Amino acid sequence: MLLIHHTSFYFSVTFLLPMHNPVTISKKACFVLQAEVFPYPEIGNDEVEEIKQLVAPVEKFFSDDVDSAKIDREATIPLETLQGLKDLGLFGIMIPEEYGGLGLSHTIYARLNEIIALDGSIAVTLAAHQAIGLKGILIAGNEAQKKKYLPKLASGEHIAAFCLTEPGSGSDAASIQTRATLSEDGKHYLINGSKIWISNGGMADIMTVFARTEVEVDGVKKDKISAFIVERAFGGIASGKPEDKLGIRGSNTCELSFDNVPVPVENVIGEIGGGFKIAMNILNSGRFSMGSSCAGMIKKLIELTSEYAATRKQFNKSLSEFGMIQEKFAMMALNAFVMESMAYLTAGMMDRPGVPDCSLEAAMVKVFSSEGGWICVSEALQVLGGLGYTKNYPFERFVRDCRILPIFEGTNEILRMYITLTGMQYAGKILTGKIKEMKKGNIGLAIGMVSKKLRTSLGASVDLGLTGKDGVVHPSLEDSAKKLEQNVSLFGSTVESLLYRYGKTIVDEQLVLKRVADVLIHMYAMTAVLSRASRSISIGLRNHDHEVLLANTFCNDAFFKNNYWMVQLQKHSPENNDANIKKIAKQVLENRAYICSHPLERTY
Amino acid sequence: MKGSRCLHQLKSLRLLSHAGRRLPPPAAAAAAGDNGALFRLHSSSLLGGSQCPQREVLRHFHSSPARTKSQPARFVQEEDKTRDKSLVAHDDLFEQVAKETKTKATFNKVIDVYTKRDIRRRGHVEFIYAALKKMPEFGVEKDLTVYNKLLDVFPKEVFVPQNFIQRMFNHYPRQQECGVQLLEQMESYGIMPNTETKVLLVQIFGEKTHPMRKYQRIMYWFPKFMHANPFPIPKQLPEDPVDLARFSLTRMANDWDAKVTVYQLPCTDITDSGAEVTLPHIVGIQSPSQMEALAKHNPCRPVFVEGPFPLWMRKTCVYYYVLRADPAPPEEKLDLDLDRDLGDDESFDVEDLDDGPVFAMCMTSQGDQATLNQWISGLQQSNPILGQIPTLFRLGAGPRELQGVGDTDSASGTWFSSHAHKEEADPGEDGEAVVEEEPRRSQGVKQ
Repeated sequence: MLLIHHTSFYFSVTFLLPMHNPVTISKKACFVLQAEVFPYPEIGNDEVEEIKQLVAPVEKFFSDDVDSAKIDREATIPLETLQGLKDLGLFGIMIPEEYGGLGLSHTIYARLNEIIALDGSIAVTLAAHQAIGLKGILIAGNEAQKKKYLPKLASGEHIAAFCLTEPGSGSDAASIQTRATLSEDGKHYLINGSKIWISNGGMADIMTVFARTEVEVDGVKKDKISAFIVERAFGGIASGKPEDKLGIRGSNTCELSFDNVPVPVENVIGEIGGGFKIAMNILNSGRFSMGSSCAGMIKKLIELTSEYAATRKQFNKSLSEFGMIQEKFAMMALNAFVMESMAYLTAGMMDRPGVPDCSLEAAMVKVFSSEGGWICVSEALQVLGGLGYTKNYPFERFVRDCRILPIFEGTNEILRMYITLTGMQYAGKILTGKIKEMKKGNIGLAIGMVSKKLRTSLGASVDLGLTGKDGVVHPSLEDSAKKLEQNVSLFGSTVESLLYRYGKTIVDEQLVLKRVADVLIHMYAMTAVLSRASRSISIGLRNHDHEVLLANTFCNDAFFKNNYWMVQLQKHSPENNDANIKKIAKQVLENRAYICSHPLERTY
Repeated sequence: MKGSRCLHQLKSLRLLSHAGRRLPPPAAAAAAGDNGALFRLHSSSLLGGSQCPQREVLRHFHSSPARTKSQPARFVQEEDKTRDKSLVAHDDLFEQVAKETKTKATFNKVIDVYTKRDIRRRGHVEFIYAALKKMPEFGVEKDLTVYNKLLDVFPKEVFVPQNFIQRMFNHYPRQQECGVQLLEQMESYGIMPNTETKVLLVQIFGEKTHPMRKYQRIMYWFPKFMHANPFPIPKQLPEDPVDLARFSLTRMANDWDAKVTVYQLPCTDITDSGAEVTLPHIVGIQSPSQMEALAKHNPCRPVFVEGPFPLWMRKTCVYYYVLRADPAPPEEKLDLDLDRDLGDDESFDVEDLDDGPVFAMCMTSQGDQATLNQWISGLQQSNPILGQIPTLFRLGAGPRELQGVGDTDSASGTWFSSHAHKEEADPGEDGEAVVEEEPRRSQGVKQ
C-alpha cells in the first residue's frame, strides 16, 4: 500500500535549488523561494477552532451593523460602529494578550482582514491604527512604553496614527524635514514640522512621528531620523480639515502640524537616530495582509455578481452563458485564489519562530493583489453594466475604494524597485565572487559555466526537484511545476546577463527592473499556488480538483507572461521598444503636452 | 511480515486440526503446500464462523512458554468454556454497572473499574473485545475519547518489540490484533483518530507494528474521502419537519433559482365541535424553468400528483410527492431529422430517457388527497394554467407520516431494527402497496 506520510513533503526548495544549480544566479530565485514554501504552512487544530469562534461574530457584525453606503456618503464612521469594532477586539488583534490585545498570529490577522476588507474605510482605519500606527511600539518599543501605551491602544480607547509622509517627502521617506531638537534641560525633544495624509490623523491620540535629530557619530554631527511616541495631550498639535477623497471616504485623513511639541526623551522608540530602519520595518511588515483583504473582497464580489449574471437575461440567454462574462468570473476566481495562496503562504512564513524577514514576499503580495484587485472590481462592475455604475449598487464604491491600494503602504512602483533590487543585490554578490574567481584563473569554473550554457542551449531539461518521485508537488500539478522550473532557470540566466550588461547602473534601468519584478512576482505566485494546491490534494480538502484547475490555469498563463517578459529582457532597448517609450515620454514631457497636430488640421 | 503471519496461521491451523479434529491431516498438508492466499481461503472457509477457537490456539502458540508447557494438550472445547467464562465476566461487568442507564458515563465507569481492579490488567484483550461489542448499546460508538480511553487499557511498553527478531515476527499477535480491531471499529463508524491515539499506539505497540500501520492507513485515506461527496449532508439534520422538508427539497432540486414555498405550517386547532384537528405541513418547491414548462403544457393532457417516494437523508427517511406529466407523445414533438442514415445512433441511452417533465415537488406529513389538493391549489396561484389542466392523483399507500425525524444518529442501531420491526408488524398497510402498485392507487380527478 502506498503510504505517503505528510511529513515526506518536508523539503525545502532552498535546499534543492543550490544543489542542482551550484553557482548560477537562480540562487536569486531561491531568495524568492526562501524559507520553506513546501509544504504550504498549516495552522493547528486549536487555531482553526479559534478562527471559527472569532470569524463568526465579526462576519455577523459586518453584515448586520455596518452600513458601508452610509459611511461612504457621510464620509465618517459612526461612533457606534467604532464601538462595535472595539468591543470585538479588532483594535488589538496582534497586540499580545499581556497588554490586553487578542495576541493573534499573522495568519489569523490575515483571515480577519478578509472580512474587515468588505468596508474599505474601516479596513483602512484599522490598518492605520494597528498595522502601522502602533506597530512601532510593538516591534521596537521598550517594556515601559509597551506597558504604558499598548493596553489603551488594544482596547481602542486610544487610536494610533503613523506620521511619516510630508509635503516634500512621499516615497522618498529619508528626506523628511520635521525636526526634533533636544530642549535645554535635556528632558524633552521639541518637534516642529508638518505631516500630510495621515490616516486617523484627526482622531488619533497616540502618534508614531518620525523626525530628524542631530546625532553625533564619531565626533561628526549628523542628521538622522528618529521615531517618537507623541500623545495628542502633549499639546502643540493641530490637525487640518479631513481630506475629501475618491474612495475610503469614511477613513479620516488629514494634515497634522507640530509646533514645539514637547516629547519626553523616554518616548523615543528604539535608539535615537534609528528611526528610518524602524519606519521601513513597520511598513514592510504591514503589507502582507493586503492579499487576503483583496481576496476577501473579490470573493464577496463574485457572490454579488454571479447572482445577477444568473438571473439577468439577454438574447434569451442568461448572462452566465456568455463566454465573455464567464471569462470575467474565471478571472476573478483565479485572482482570488492566487492572492489567497500568496497571502497565507507569506503569513505562515511570518509566523515561523524567530523574526523572519519576509519584506520581499510581503511586497510581492502587495503589488500582485493591489493590481489584481483593481482589475477584478472593475470587471465585476462591468458584468452589471450600467447598473454597476450607479450608486444603487456597491460596485462603484468598491472601485473607488480599491484605487487606493496601489498607492498607499508604498506605491507599487517603489515596491517593484524594492523587489528587484533586493534580489539583485544578492545575485550581484554571488556574481562578483564568481568573476573574481575567474579573474584569478579558475579555469574549471569557466569551463563549467560554458558547458552548462551549452547543455541548456542544447535543450537539456531543467529539473529542480519539484516533481518526480521525491518531489514536493503533486503529480497532477507536474506540468505546472515543470513550467515554474523552466522559468526559474531561464530567469537565472537572464538576470546574470543583465548584470553583466548593466553592472551597477542597472539601478537606473527602471523599465528593466519593472519586468524583473513582474517575473519575480509571478514566480512567487506560481510557487504559492503549486504549494497550496498540492497540499489540498494530499489532504483531500473539499473541491481540491477546482484548486488544481485554478493552479494549472494560472501557472500556464504566468508561464507565458514570464517568458514574454524574459525574452524582452534579453533584447536590447531598441528591440524591446524601451528606447521608443523613453523617447516618446521625453518629447511629451519636454513640451508638457500632447504634441501631435490635430488630425483635422490642413496644411494647404 | 506477511510470510511470518501466514506461517503462524498455518501452525495454528495445524494445532487446531490436531486438537479439534476439524480438519483432516491430509487437507492440512495440502493447504500447507499452497500459497498464502489460497491457504487463508481454506482456513477461513473451513473454519466458518468459529473464529474463537483459532484465536485460542493463537494464544497457545504465542503466549508465555511456561503456560504452554504446563498445558500442552488442552482441547479447544475445554478452552472455550474457560474463555467463555471470562468473557461473560466482562459482559457481566457491563451489565451490572449499566442495569438502569446505558450512557457514556457508565461506560467510562466500567473501564475505570476494570483498570483499577487489577494492576496486571489480566484479560484486558477480552475486556476490550467485550467493550467494543457493547459500545453501540451505550451509544458511545462514535466517541473518539472513549476509544482512546479503551486503548489506554492496554499496558504500556510491554508489547513493544525490543529486537529485530521480535520486530520481524508477529510480536504479541493477540494484542496487536485487538488493537487493529479497535481501530477497525473506529473506521467503520467513521471516527478519525487523533494525536492522542497515535501516542497511545506508539506507547503500547511501538512504531511499525500492525496497529500503527492501520492507524497510518486510516490517516491516509480518511481525509482523502472526507469530502468525496459533492453533495454533503450535515451531521445534524434539522429537527423541525418544515426545515427538514425545506432542506431536502432544495437538495433534490439542486437549482439556485428554485423557490421553496411553505403552503401550510403545522398546527393544531380545536374546531367548534371540540374535536382536535392537526393540520399537516405542506412545503413545496418549484423553479422558474419548471413554471415555464408547466405554462407550456398542453391543457388537454392531464398532470399527475404522484407519491410518496422515499428520500433517505443519513438515517432519516422522508417522503415526497411530485407533480408531473407523461412524456409528450411523439406526434407533438418536433422531429426534423426524418431521414435515416448509416451514421444514426440507434442505441438505447439510459441518460437520455424521456421520463416526462416534473413540474413541482412537495413534502407533507400527511399524504392524502385532501392535503395534496391544498398544495395544488397553492401552486395554482403562481401557475394559473393548473386551473385548466385535469389533475390526477396517483398516490401509493405510503406511510402517512414522516418517519424517523426524531431519531438521532446515536440511536441509529436500534432505529433500524425498530423500523424493520414496524414494517413487519403492520403488513396490512405496507404489504399491499409492495405487492401491487397499480390497483392500490387511489384515483381521483380534481374538477
